[in-house]
Amino acid sequence: MERFGFLLRRPLELLPVLFGVSLVSFLLVRSIPGDPARILLGIKATPAAIAAIRARYGLDEPLPVQFLLFVRNALQGEFGKSIVFKIKVLDLVSAHIAPTLFLIGYTVVLALLFAIPAAVLAARRAGRWQDQAVRVASTLGLGLPPFWLGIILVMVFSIWLGLFPVSGYGDSFAGHLHHLFLAALTLAFALAPVLIRNLRASLLSEQSADYVVAARAKGLDERRIFAAHVFRNSPIPTVNLLGVTIGFLIGATVIVENVFAIPGLGQLMVNSIVNRDYMVVQAVTLIFAVGTICVTLLADIATIALDPRVKG
Amino acid sequence: MLGMPAAPANAGGTIKIAREADSTTFDPIISQQNQDCWIFPNIFASLVRATPDATKVVPNLAESWTVSPDGMTYTFKLRAGLKFSDGTPIKASDVKFSILRARDTKESAWASLYSGIADIAAPDDTTAVFKLKAPSAVFLANIAMFAAGIIPEAAVTKMGAEAFGQMPVVSGAYKLEECKHGESVILTKNPNFWNAAKVNLDRIEWLLIPNDNTRILKLQGGEVDAAILIPFNRVADLQKDPKLAVHLDPSTREDHLLANFAHKPLDNKDVRQAIYQALDRKAIVDAVTFGLGEVANSFISKGAMFYNAAQKDYGYDPAAAKALLAKAGVALPLKLDLLIFAGDSAHEQIAVLMKDQLGKVGIELNVVKQEAGQAFDTTSAGNYDLAINYWTNDIIDPDEKTAFAVYGDDVTHSYYTGYKNPVVSKLVDDSRVELDEAKRQAIYFKIQQTVKDDIH
Repeated sequence: MERFGFLLRRPLELLPVLFGVSLVSFLLVRSIPGDPARILLGIKATPAAIAAIRARYGLDEPLPVQFLLFVRNALQGEFGKSIVFKIKVLDLVSAHIAPTLFLIGYTVVLALLFAIPAAVLAARRAGRWQDQAVRVASTLGLGLPPFWLGIILVMVFSIWLGLFPVSGYGDSFAGHLHHLFLAALTLAFALAPVLIRNLRASLLSEQSADYVVAARAKGLDERRIFAAHVFRNSPIPTVNLLGVTIGFLIGATVIVENVFAIPGLGQLMVNSIVNRDYMVVQAVTLIFAVGTICVTLLADIATIALDPRVKG
Repeated sequence: MLGMPAAPANAGGTIKIAREADSTTFDPIISQQNQDCWIFPNIFASLVRATPDATKVVPNLAESWTVSPDGMTYTFKLRAGLKFSDGTPIKASDVKFSILRARDTKESAWASLYSGIADIAAPDDTTAVFKLKAPSAVFLANIAMFAAGIIPEAAVTKMGAEAFGQMPVVSGAYKLEECKHGESVILTKNPNFWNAAKVNLDRIEWLLIPNDNTRILKLQGGEVDAAILIPFNRVADLQKDPKLAVHLDPSTREDHLLANFAHKPLDNKDVRQAIYQALDRKAIVDAVTFGLGEVANSFISKGAMFYNAAQKDYGYDPAAAKALLAKAGVALPLKLDLLIFAGDSAHEQIAVLMKDQLGKVGIELNVVKQEAGQAFDTTSAGNYDLAINYWTNDIIDPDEKTAFAVYGDDVTHSYYTGYKNPVVSKLVDDSRVELDEAKRQAIYFKIQQTVKDDIH
């Protein structure tokens, strides 16, 4: 278990990262021109009403004071109130987490369902037409913008074939699977090619490794060699890559949640930036940061579990 | 603009409507956002209400009212047996509470509409007496508005305003069943509403679908009954779909070109008139709205109270524009900035066409794009030469827009342009105390023509 000792150290390393993310997001969101109170009340509002809103949400305090207040409250697990929705940021954000988590998990599962067979096929038939076909499909997947692909998928699968709902989240687990399918598929199309290329490359390099040559020399069956040796030892780089790309995926949900009207963090984030709902932007940024760190951590744990030589 | 299946929802059924933005609150006095303003009148009833054609005020919670001869006191008689959605009685004291709250709450977005009320008395449970500071022709229109919707004093006091704004106790035709932020707002019929027998639908579901294409697909796929805010360029397409009916209802929205009087040479009327006549507004409107919009002839929108179809206007005349610029003695090319909302495709199209048309008379337009939040600040601070902005009415009386756009007070400076004509300000003052409708209309025709002649 000593190899997993880093699990205890990681949370301590987390703190400076979170502080840095908080400071940067605090400054960035406030450096966008535009006053949240004015946006909230519109062009018709009187200066008195705007001043009242600014005072209520502490926006009239100097910036350093606002930041210190934010840190003090955040340490107590308190993120203040949303200027737009007038409810606790924590309540608002926690209501939006599940759809995003579901979407990301769904996407990863779908992407792996595409990526693993495709990479194995490409590696085992390297240089032949099957490999070329996977390459062309991957390039297409990388090249299609998600917002466009999403609309096309809806046209085909919802409007013409009537198989999936156009948008939404659904009410049950099965409902989520049904409603989010096209959104997850859209994201999986973007994610899978990266995984395929990466996994194919490591499968190929393992295939020519000395121990594989030795196994072949022993006269082992080629299929057994692939399943028991090549495939088992190949996924480490891909697992690490997956960890990094999930970070990007969190960003991509912002667009896809908008197209598919999914009530997740991405949609909340866009809406909050447009409305300068500072506290919500900061809280969601922190969640994205924590999420990315957790995924990286999981990838590290998986790497160690997969390869006994790696130390934390 | 609304797309709907050709067969409307049956009486007693549910209607699902897709819209582009989410509700932010259910407290009727603290929001000016359209998506909130669409819900408020459904859940809060006022003493009186506007007719659907927006030309008259008729009884609602009040069954009748009388006005004192000096026009300073209005006495409303409430209907018998009125109840809030929680079953508690609606009393005159709730009327007093609701409207004074709209007037006095610091964060009230509508306080100015009620500042003319001196006090309200509730001598008994069904009588509310409003004392005004001066006679007011606008008073009834103001209290017909949702911000004057009646809310229960007891529940608001007990729950606190913020909790009330999340799950209100209501007086209107519908009550809030559920609000899932980012997803849906569901209203169900309020059986305690005084006129519940006339309320057809049992349930209204407002679904948040921010993306225009998705909203339309949702409608075409039959997952919603209606979708609002259809982009102009999709209307012709949808009109061909036999399963859909496209409702093109007149709107009070007007898109304005603001000219900043504080930035020379825009203080010169000839220069403003040159810009006005250099613009082929018909061509712009046709192109941007795909022939669905109309050229406005005044700041009062077509069909609204005191709209004057015969209003004299200045037509498209580039030659006259050039002559006016020469008369004003400005050096050409005259360079001006035009502020528009970034990402607003209609604004961007207008800007492109304006740049072309003004270029032909020697005015060089530099288009400045700012995101809406920033553009609000820039406009209200008066840091622009020309700006595009739009307005929609909240009350049926033109007084609200008149006060904002042409009166020239120290807060909104005539739509942040700095325009102030004492003749207009005086006419507006007169219009507010003129209780004779015909005379008031004559004043309003004069206001509109004066403002037009001033090229504001």
